[in-house]
Amino acid sequence: MKSWKIGAIGLVLVLLFGLFAMAEENVTITFWHAMSSGHQPNLQNLVDDFMAEYPYITVELSYQGGYGDLQQKINAAVVAGNVPTMAQAYENWVTPIVEVLYPIGPHMTGLEKADIIDGLVPSNTYNGILYTVPFNKSIMVFYYRKDLVPTPPATWEEYLQMAKDLTADTNDDGTIDQFGTGFRPSANPEQFLNFLEEAGGSILNEDWTEVTINNEAGLAAMEYAASLAPYSLITSAYMSDAFQANQVCMFIDTSAGYYYNNKAAETAGFEMGVARVPVGPVNQKSMIQGTNLGVFDMNQTQAQKDAAVLLARFLLLANKTVFWAEKGGYQPVTKSAYVTEEWKNWVATHEYQQAISAQMLDGFSQILHPNYGDMRDIIATSFEEAMMGEAAPKEALDAAAGELGALLE
Amino acid sequence: MNSRYLVDGNLLRQRTYRLVLYFLLFAGCAIMLLPFFWMVTTSFKVESEVLRMPPRWIPKNWQWINYIKAWNVAPFGRYFFNSFFMAISTTIGEVITTILAAYAFAKMRFFGKTTIFAVLLGTLMIPGQMLLIPNYVTITRLGWFDRYEALIVPWLASVFGIFLLRQFFRSIPDELREASRIDGCSRFRFLWQIVVPLSKPAIMTVALLKFLGSWNAFLWVLIMTNSDKMRTIPVGLTLFSSEVGTAYEQLMAASVLAIIPVLILFFFTQKQFIQGVARTGIK
Repeated sequence: MKSWKIGAIGLVLVLLFGLFAMAEENVTITFWHAMSSGHQPNLQNLVDDFMAEYPYITVELSYQGGYGDLQQKINAAVVAGNVPTMAQAYENWVTPIVEVLYPIGPHMTGLEKADIIDGLVPSNTYNGILYTVPFNKSIMVFYYRKDLVPTPPATWEEYLQMAKDLTADTNDDGTIDQFGTGFRPSANPEQFLNFLEEAGGSILNEDWTEVTINNEAGLAAMEYAASLAPYSLITSAYMSDAFQANQVCMFIDTSAGYYYNNKAAETAGFEMGVARVPVGPVNQKSMIQGTNLGVFDMNQTQAQKDAAVLLARFLLLANKTVFWAEKGGYQPVTKSAYVTEEWKNWVATHEYQQAISAQMLDGFSQILHPNYGDMRDIIATSFEEAMMGEAAPKEALDAAAGELGALLE
Repeated sequence: MNSRYLVDGNLLRQRTYRLVLYFLLFAGCAIMLLPFFWMVTTSFKVESEVLRMPPRWIPKNWQWINYIKAWNVAPFGRYFFNSFFMAISTTIGEVITTILAAYAFAKMRFFGKTTIFAVLLGTLMIPGQMLLIPNYVTITRLGWFDRYEALIVPWLASVFGIFLLRQFFRSIPDELREASRIDGCSRFRFLWQIVVPLSKPAIMTVALLKFLGSWNAFLWVLIMTNSDKMRTIPVGLTLFSSEVGTAYEQLMAASVLAIIPVLILFFFTQKQFIQGVARTGIK
C-alpha cells in the first residue's frame, strides 16, 4: 500500500477518533420547566430515556414553579446572562428574547420539520426560522354530561339552544342551580378567543399594525358569547369544580383538564363526553395551548447547545410525543405520531381522544406578539364584562380595542 | 330591696355582656379556625371527597397515605432543612442588625440622621417585584446564585424591623442612659444589658415576623435557586397545582406539615408577640 494511502487512512482514523472523542465529551445541560408533580415523573422518564441513548449527556431538570414564575425567571435570567440551556416557553415570551435563542429548526432535517403539525409551525417560527419546537400541547374541546346531553351540539345555534334548555332551577327555590354551560372569563379568555377564530375574527391584523378585535367578526363572537351568558355559570374557579357540583352541563375547556373534569364527573356520578367544539359561522377551529421548547445561546458551549437541540428533537420522535401525550394528557405534536399503531390503539381505547385528536389537526395558536400577555389580560376583562352584563358586547370590545391600540403604540 | 335589684340588674347586665362577648369571640375563633380545620380534614380525604357538594367535613375513610404521597412528591426533608436554616439565620441576623440600627436612630446623634431614616422608610414604598430582576442580576454577579448566601444575606436587615424597634427604643427614658453612663457603663453595654431586655416583646415581634416571612418566602427562593437541594417548602407546595387542576388532598397534607413548626413557634412566643404588637401599635 502506498504511503499516501496509509497516510490518508491514518488521517481519516484520527479524524473519526477525534469526532468520536468530541461526541463522547461529557456535557451537562439544564432544562427549566413548569411541570408540576403530576407530569414530572413522565418528563423524567423521557429524559432518562434520552440519557440512556446519549450517555455522555446529563440533563438536569429544574422545576421553576408555575408558568408565570417561569416567565419571570427567564426574563431575569436573560438580563443577568444566567440562562439555562433550554426551557419551556410560551410563544409571546420568546418574541422579545428571540435574539438570545439558538434556533432549533436549522439543525433539524426537512422531514422532521415537515412532521410538526401545521398549526404549530407558525407559532414556533420567528423571522422565518423555526426557533422553538412544540412541547406540551393541549387544545380547547367540548366537555358535556352524557346523561343530559345525548348528542353534543354541532353548531353555535345548537349550543345556545341546549344551554337554554338545560338551565333550570332544579330544587324550585327561585334561583338557577343548573346552568346549561359555564365560562371562566378572567382565567380562561381562550374560551372567547375560540369563538373569535370561529367567527373569522382576530385580535390584530396580520402585520400587527391595527386592532381588529372589534370588527364585525369580533362583534359576532362577543355577541354570541353574551347570548350564552344567561344560561352560563360565570366563575373564576376550575370548571371541574362546577361540574362536580352539578352546576354546569357542558363547557369548552382545554383538553389538558380532561383528568380533573373526568374525575369530577365520576365523583358526581355521571358519565362525561368529549366532543369537538361546535362549528362557528366561518369555521370549526380550536385554540391550541401549551408551551414550546427553546434553546438558549448566551453563555452555552456549542456542545451544550448541540445536546439541547438533540433533546428537543428526541422529544419530537413519534413514540416519545405519544408517550408524553398518553401519560400527561397532552397531545402529540407531530403528524407521524398520529399514525403510529400505539396512538391509534390509544385513541381506539380512549373514546374521548377521538374528538381531541381530530380537533388538534385543525388547531390554531396564539399570536407571537411580545405584548400578548397584556393583550390576553385586556381581552379577559372585556370578556368578563360582557359575560357579567356589565357592558354591552360592542362597548366591551371597543374598550378592549382602545387598550390594545394603546399597547400597539 | 331596691339596691338588691340594682345589684342583680348589674349582675345580669354583666352576664349578658359576657355572654355576648364570648359568643362573638367564639364566632371569631370559629371563622379563624375553619380554614385550618378544612386544611387538616382535607389532608385525610380521598380525592373525590375534597370538593363534594354538600361538603363532607369529616372524611369517611381517613387517608393517612396522603401524607406519604405528598412527602414523596419532592425531597421535602431537604426543603424543611432549608426552610429552617434560612428562617433561623435570617431571623438571628436581622435581630442583631435591626437592634444596632434602631438604637442608632433612636438614641444617638449623628449628621443626617433624619434624612437617612426618611430615605430608609422611603424604600418601603418600592414594591419587591420591581426589584426582583435587579436583585437577580446582583446575586448572579456576586456568584451567590443557587447558594445559601442568596437566600440569607439580602435578608439580614429590614427597614420595617428598624422602624419598629426605633419606635420602641424611643420610649425608653434617656435618664436611664445618663444613669448608666455615670456608673461607667459603655454605650454597647447599655444597649445589650438594659435596652434589649426592656425591649424583649418588640424584639420578639421582629423575630417572629421575620421567621414567618422567611418560612413563607416563595418568589425570592424560586427565582434565586435552581436545584432541589436549595429549595424550601413554599416552592415544594406549588408542585401540587397546575393550570388545570390541583391535588388538594396532597397539597393540604404538605401544608399541614409546613405549618407545624410555625405553630410550635407561635405557641412558645405568643405572649411576647401580643405584647409587642400592643406596645408598638402595629396593626
